[in-house]
Amino acid sequence: MSEQDHTWRDSVAAYLLGALPEDEVLALRMHLDGCATCRRTLDDLRPAVDALPAAVTPLEAPPALRDRIMAIAESEAELLHAAGPDSNRTPARRARPRRSLRARLQARVPGWLVAAPVAACLLLAVAVGVLATGDEGVRSVTASVDRESAPAGRARLEIGRDGTRLVAQGLPDAPGGRVYQVWLKRSGETAEPTSALFAVRSDGSASVSVPGSLEGIDQVLVTAEPRGGSDVPSRQPLVQAFTS
Amino acid sequence: MPDLSRLADEELMHFVRHNDTSAFEVIYDRHKGAAFSLAYRMVGTRNAAEDVVQEAFLSIWRSGARYDRARGSVRTWVLGIVHHRAIDALRRSIVHSKRRASDEGLEERFESGERTDAEAARRDEARTVRAAIGTLPPEQSRVIELAYFGGFTHTEIAAMLEAPIGTIKGRMRLGLEKMRAELRVAGVTP
Repeated sequence: MSEQDHTWRDSVAAYLLGALPEDEVLALRMHLDGCATCRRTLDDLRPAVDALPAAVTPLEAPPALRDRIMAIAESEAELLHAAGPDSNRTPARRARPRRSLRARLQARVPGWLVAAPVAACLLLAVAVGVLATGDEGVRSVTASVDRESAPAGRARLEIGRDGTRLVAQGLPDAPGGRVYQVWLKRSGETAEPTSALFAVRSDGSASVSVPGSLEGIDQVLVTAEPRGGSDVPSRQPLVQAFTS
Repeated sequence: MPDLSRLADEELMHFVRHNDTSAFEVIYDRHKGAAFSLAYRMVGTRNAAEDVVQEAFLSIWRSGARYDRARGSVRTWVLGIVHHRAIDALRRSIVHSKRRASDEGLEERFESGERTDAEAARRDEARTVRAAIGTLPPEQSRVIELAYFGGFTHTEIAAMLEAPIGTIKGRMRLGLEKMRAELRVAGVTP
């Protein structure tokens, strides 16, 4: 076996342990496609790594954590249920490429509410603007956060080839047992709901995938809504991001 | 509707894929302890561990279709997701510097008190895995510890231990090979 082969096999171990930097992960995955020896090493070492969690001190998960997770899951299930029995089924024949469940869910909700009369009522904490385009083609857009509800709140959109994420810090828990919901708005049209419902982490941060394409969308909004989400925003937006 | 609590994890995943929250709840209850324990071991504070577990299980809820039983048990899949999320948390935040600062000693106060047969079997497995790690030369167990539980990259570990990256990666492989052999002898892995 050559020195190069040993190097790749060592990289397999580091990969399984989560210790390979991202660029080396991609290189290793490409190598694995064409190297049966390294694939065998991967299969051989994986059970040792899979066993490692068993070595930690067993702890009880806090009951409140269960409540939070189930509240969000149930909210999303209600939304999916509202989309109808076919929402999770693949059509036998498709005339056009299958759209994601979330996209179909979004499309099923009728157009509603005319452009939210929101901006004028907001005290905006952060100026709106495109910040930067990163090395990996991710464009960062700073969002406005309602200063009254979240004095220390900050939020941004990360728009990349693989989709868009909303990343926020300093947000309060949604009031009154509500959850946050992401909305997409086209210029001069009503805001459209998405299936993206989320709760903030204990430190007030959140990172949520924005469903669907931003093509034609000029604003991404976040409001606090009842569990299961709403068809129409029931509150002023907490976060407002202009995509262009 | 079958009694979900009697179904195997792999069967429950069928229902989770169809957005059944009751099935998801059973999966959560079966693996919440292991998930929280691993997350806490990695990020070192209770709040951060809760965040990691919340993100991991919501990811599982939303992507249940990605579970492939040919690649291992649901438990292994769940804990793999928790591990990835914990590494993400460690690398994107200041958790690294804060870890184990405020919650040190908390383990004793909320250690699991479960005494079911399944728990007893897991405790046996835990002893075996710890024993297997204990057979490793210290330089091998150290790099495995820093990588898997510490979330450090090989580059960071090499800098920490003042050793070449190649040496660090070699220790990882040798350690895992030895561990695998020990676990095979003990009957924990095939």
